[in-house]
Amino acid sequence: MIEQRELPEIFESFSDARKQGFMAMKNLKEQGKGVVGTFCTYVPVELFLAVGLVPVGLCSTSDETIGEAEKVLPRNLCPLIKASYGFAAADKCPYMYFSDLVVGETTCDGKTKMYELLGKIKDVHVMDLPHNQDRPASRAIWMEEIKRLKNRVEEKFGVTITVEKLHQAIRERNRERALLKKVYELSVMSPAPLSGLQQLQILFGAQFKFDHEKKVQELEETISRITEEYQNGRHPIPAAAKRIIVTGCPIGGVTEKFTRVIEESGAVVVAYENCTGAKQFDRQIDESADPYDALCDYYLNIGCSVMSPNPNRLELLGRLCDQFKADGVLEMVLQSCHTYAIESYTIGEFLKTRSIPFMSLETDYSSGDTEQLKTRISAFIEML
Amino acid sequence: MDGEAEYVIGIDCGSTLCKGVLLNRHGVAAFSLQPTGWNLQESAARVLANLRGNAADIAPNTADNDMVGNMPIIATGYGRDMATEKTKAVTEISAHARGAEYLMPGVRTVIDIGGQDCKVIAVENGRVLSFQMNDKCAAGTGRFVQMVLERFNADINLMDTLLAAEKIIQLNSTCAVFAESEIIGLLAKGYSREEIVGGVALSMAVKISSLSARVGLRPPVVLTGGLAESSGIRKALSQVLKVEVQFLPQGIYAGAIGAACIGGF
Repeated sequence: MIEQRELPEIFESFSDARKQGFMAMKNLKEQGKGVVGTFCTYVPVELFLAVGLVPVGLCSTSDETIGEAEKVLPRNLCPLIKASYGFAAADKCPYMYFSDLVVGETTCDGKTKMYELLGKIKDVHVMDLPHNQDRPASRAIWMEEIKRLKNRVEEKFGVTITVEKLHQAIRERNRERALLKKVYELSVMSPAPLSGLQQLQILFGAQFKFDHEKKVQELEETISRITEEYQNGRHPIPAAAKRIIVTGCPIGGVTEKFTRVIEESGAVVVAYENCTGAKQFDRQIDESADPYDALCDYYLNIGCSVMSPNPNRLELLGRLCDQFKADGVLEMVLQSCHTYAIESYTIGEFLKTRSIPFMSLETDYSSGDTEQLKTRISAFIEML
Repeated sequence: MDGEAEYVIGIDCGSTLCKGVLLNRHGVAAFSLQPTGWNLQESAARVLANLRGNAADIAPNTADNDMVGNMPIIATGYGRDMATEKTKAVTEISAHARGAEYLMPGVRTVIDIGGQDCKVIAVENGRVLSFQMNDKCAAGTGRFVQMVLERFNADINLMDTLLAAEKIIQLNSTCAVFAESEIIGLLAKGYSREEIVGGVALSMAVKISSLSARVGLRPPVVLTGGLAESSGIRKALSQVLKVEVQFLPQGIYAGAIGAACIGGF
């Protein structure tokens, strides 16, 4: 079992960021700042940052309000979608409460239809996301959608997004992405200097820190402290622990159980090829290009299973397997997530060609399947 | 055998039965079987006490109170973490693969029908290559078979006679509870219990074939777990999977034997 030993104190500020962020956000609101809630990594948050608006990831990682959501939505639906809607319907997510505008995107059918219902509760703007990355027409649609979002933001908040300000926002976010990439790349070292659960808490927690300069400083400090202690001989992860890469649906909140079970079985998660991890931080936005072209290309090329075909996911996953010397890949698919569930076969075949053991598991936001996950994941790790 | 341990105990604490073996370099020296009941810890302890008693009888003068007290104990099965005094716990998947290899060297596929789940395991030299388990559903498990047999006032030993029927029917429900409603409906239509039990065995085999399709089925194929002795279930499986599912003597103990092997042999 990987013990979740203590990390430098500064780490606490990330594992607690979501909770502490509530107060920070309240203060920002009182100062008159506008807040934009988002659900997905496809939303170009640079448009909000450029004019001092605060983007925030909305609560969609707990089962607390699924009951409320099921009064309206079908039971047999992705838990992330149910939770997203449920938090708004039950008025239980402070971030949802503080959001002046919610920006959705037509990633999957479930979300697309849910936003129609969410629109009755909140001011929702939906971006029409094409599901292909090569066709010029797809790119043209996405470009138009980015411009439409820009106009909506300008209109709603009475601001002007200049090219200058947008450039600045791109540079800021790039800096943050680079630092978060540096955080997860710490685990390229063998043995890893931190557990996968701790890595996840930093990556997930960073989005709830709203002061850019302070966040950058804390990330730099966290990286240098972890590196320093590691060089001083502090190796909290046993060298024999099998190195796992997690792929699939986003992980955070209750689905941390997936990482917990892996690490309780004696392996260590070294990287996340999902929206909580590398998928979001691996690439940089082109700072030399026209900012709208740069945003359009960066966001459209995210390797999510909603894209067809989806070569970028394979490219990233293959690269991470080499870079992190993975012993195995485990995929978490949320119940009723068709695109990830179907793409699972492609991932399995791809990893077979590289002789990397792979297993995909379906779960939801309840804790009822922890034992079933445990048996399967332990057996997978015993197999490596 | 690694180290000095002369005997190793393997305990497979399943949801229905708790199985245990005492293993030494020559083979299985003793078996023990207890219904699991509600207290996992207690049934594992009873199995352990039986096996320790056996060990003391077998080697009364090798000074061996010590030996008996210090035997490695490897636990598996869903109650593995509840078995006190264990030296190690392994999953039933690794244990069944290893145990089947011990009982039939060269085995390539293990079908384990347990009380609350069923699994198909691809094996090579006793190691797991890949596996599939049923998800969140009771149809296709030993418990489902037990439930049906209880309804017909039959026990597991009677199953093979019931399965001898020439005519069997198809059950359509994929859920154990709905399948029971379906069975009640079939009884009302006048079907015999032989026909219905045959239908249950067949529907179970169909469930398992969908798991095995994802693992790949390579012979020799064996059946382990609580239904290992049933020739009727093997027949139904062989028919649906289109490959002979071989009889594995002591297959019910495969998990416990595998655990013991992982522990020391």
